[in-house]
Amino acid sequence: MTKFMRQTVVIARRDFIAIVFTPTFLIFLLAPLLMIGFGAVGGMGAARMAEGGADRSRIVALVEPATAARMAQIDGRMRAIYRRAEMPPALESRAPGRDPAAAARALFEDDRIEVAAVLYGPLDHPAILHGPKGERTAAYLGELAEQTLLAARAGAGDPVSQPILSEYRRSSATDTGRQAAGFGAVFVMFFLTLLLAGQSVGMLAEERANKVIEILAAAVPLEAVFLGKLLGMYGVAILFITFWGTLMSQAVAFMPDSGQTLIAIAPAIGTPAFLALFLAYFTLAFLLLGAVFLGVGAQASSMREIQMLSLPITMFQVGMFALASAAANNPDATIATIARVFPFSSPFAMAARAATDHGLAPHMLALAWQLIWVGITITLSSRLFRRGVLRSGGSLIPAWARRRSA
Amino acid sequence: MTHSLAIKATGLVKDFGGRRAVDHVDMAVPAGTIYGVLGPNGAGKTTTLRMLLGIIDPDAGERLVLGHTAPRAVSARVGYLPEERGLYPAMKARDAIAFMGALRGLSWATGRTRGAEMLEAAGLGHAVDQKIRKLSKGMAQLVQLLGSMVHRPDLLVLDEPFSGLDPVNQERLETLIRGERDRGATILFSTHVMGHAQRLCDRLTIIAGGRHRFEGTVMDARATLPMRAHFVPRPGDEAVRALLPPGAAAAGDGFDFTVPEEGIEPLLVRMIGQGHGIAGLSIERPSLHDAFVRLVNAADADDRETAK
Repeated sequence: MTKFMRQTVVIARRDFIAIVFTPTFLIFLLAPLLMIGFGAVGGMGAARMAEGGADRSRIVALVEPATAARMAQIDGRMRAIYRRAEMPPALESRAPGRDPAAAARALFEDDRIEVAAVLYGPLDHPAILHGPKGERTAAYLGELAEQTLLAARAGAGDPVSQPILSEYRRSSATDTGRQAAGFGAVFVMFFLTLLLAGQSVGMLAEERANKVIEILAAAVPLEAVFLGKLLGMYGVAILFITFWGTLMSQAVAFMPDSGQTLIAIAPAIGTPAFLALFLAYFTLAFLLLGAVFLGVGAQASSMREIQMLSLPITMFQVGMFALASAAANNPDATIATIARVFPFSSPFAMAARAATDHGLAPHMLALAWQLIWVGITITLSSRLFRRGVLRSGGSLIPAWARRRSA
Repeated sequence: MTHSLAIKATGLVKDFGGRRAVDHVDMAVPAGTIYGVLGPNGAGKTTTLRMLLGIIDPDAGERLVLGHTAPRAVSARVGYLPEERGLYPAMKARDAIAFMGALRGLSWATGRTRGAEMLEAAGLGHAVDQKIRKLSKGMAQLVQLLGSMVHRPDLLVLDEPFSGLDPVNQERLETLIRGERDRGATILFSTHVMGHAQRLCDRLTIIAGGRHRFEGTVMDARATLPMRAHFVPRPGDEAVRALLPPGAAAAGDGFDFTVPEEGIEPLLVRMIGQGHGIAGLSIERPSLHDAFVRLVNAADADDRETAK
């Protein structure tokens, strides 16, 4: 191991231990549980409200009793096509009375019933009154009238055919599935970097507050301090991902039809290679964004300044996410090329590409490109720190570059 | 490489925002000695040390540290105690020492073992596994000093090492510093407390207003001022005063005066020759404190004159 790497490991080891062996880390590790918990409670509440509303909602047909019976039979068959969440409101039939149009309007004003749409008049020219945004429900009522009329003309209400349903499971992914996998990779990587790389913004605050930075700066190159701190936090990130990755993979295994879903979204490059590339790109995204945040945060002289920096930092990450998402949704567009080349969005966009493209060579090139930028970012960050905080007049240009230009 | 010098600095210059903090400072620190960098507050001592350590780069000048122009190249052979003490509060004392050793290339295991031994030897055996936040300021400072020594450096740089220590710990620190010198290390330390410098330094340099003002031994520094004499005549002998050098002032039961350049003997010969007696005579060499104050005041006067 080189002297530089040995020094880097010393810094990383200290940071890793200082973060992980504290009660605060447990809170950090389990923080997603809170998020999941709140999400589940909120989701259940929203679903219950939606269900309650749907239960009370009705579509009404103002038709004669004979027609109503046939219509109910056909409604039963048509309703079976829909998923529960997409099902139209329950059908209710009432006698049309003397003025069906007035009766239909009266139903909308009646507070004992929540009417989504009302059908009246002859079935070959039915009139359908619906509430705002009720066009689809009205269309359903229209189709129900059509089918009821056809059945009446044929003289039967029972189905005339008996289809045989068989399931066939495809053994390869679809393009849509791969694109979804690409977007998923971008999203997960964004979420992880938002949660983990963003932490690096305040990582030098401790050293500045307790004056240890002077000891570090005297003993090791600042580049080793920066890289060490990033690797320490990266170790924490890997621990976090391993914990939650294990839990999530177990949860997915228990989900119904998870096997078929995984086949549909299987990445073009192959699942093992995709997972390896995802880890590599996550590592580089973490180091790239972490180095930027660490460098920016290192310039801050107080916790308040660090807190003020968190908004622009989040915006920057969201920007990279938006760029990479555009690349995932339009893999052949110019924006995708830009996202793959721009160093700070490149890891996200290339992870998405691994889901949709077979070639491995572009990934090797991209990883090398991103690695170069990790080096550039860490060097610039540490030099800015040396100039701005340690107040040394050292050049921002690395020594090797100065030698070359001399 | 200059084998006999641990540090050689020539014409070091450092500006901060248009203000010159260090102005062409030269320094030659012989290997295996205790070398003091003395100066009033804001003289540029810390900036000079930071340049020698490679924490900051000089704007001009040359530095040669343990034979290398890049101080960082020899960081494994250097120990450093900064003026602003810094330790991780959550670390145990022995881990803090091991961490500082690891930064300089020592293995963690060796650092922890040596850390425990050093703490024991320094009378802090009870604090080996205590967290830094539980230690008193003086104890934490000693832990940090031990951390700067744990890898057995060839050059130990201590910036104001005595500040904040009680007399007992100051004594411990002096013993530790002498022990390092006896081991063969070179010790470079800054201070503005003359007592420590006078007791410890083999050689010293005085910096004031960012400039180098003096370099030599403690005796050389004290010799920059003439010796002072206190003469006590026989009771009732008023006439002897006429023989004393100009500027002699009555003090207590006698007179104080500066010993003439030719020495005290011709004066005594004259007195005895003329029948005067001597009830008491003491000759005092000026202290390093006196020499320091004079040199710094002279430097201030010079700077004011230059500014005009």
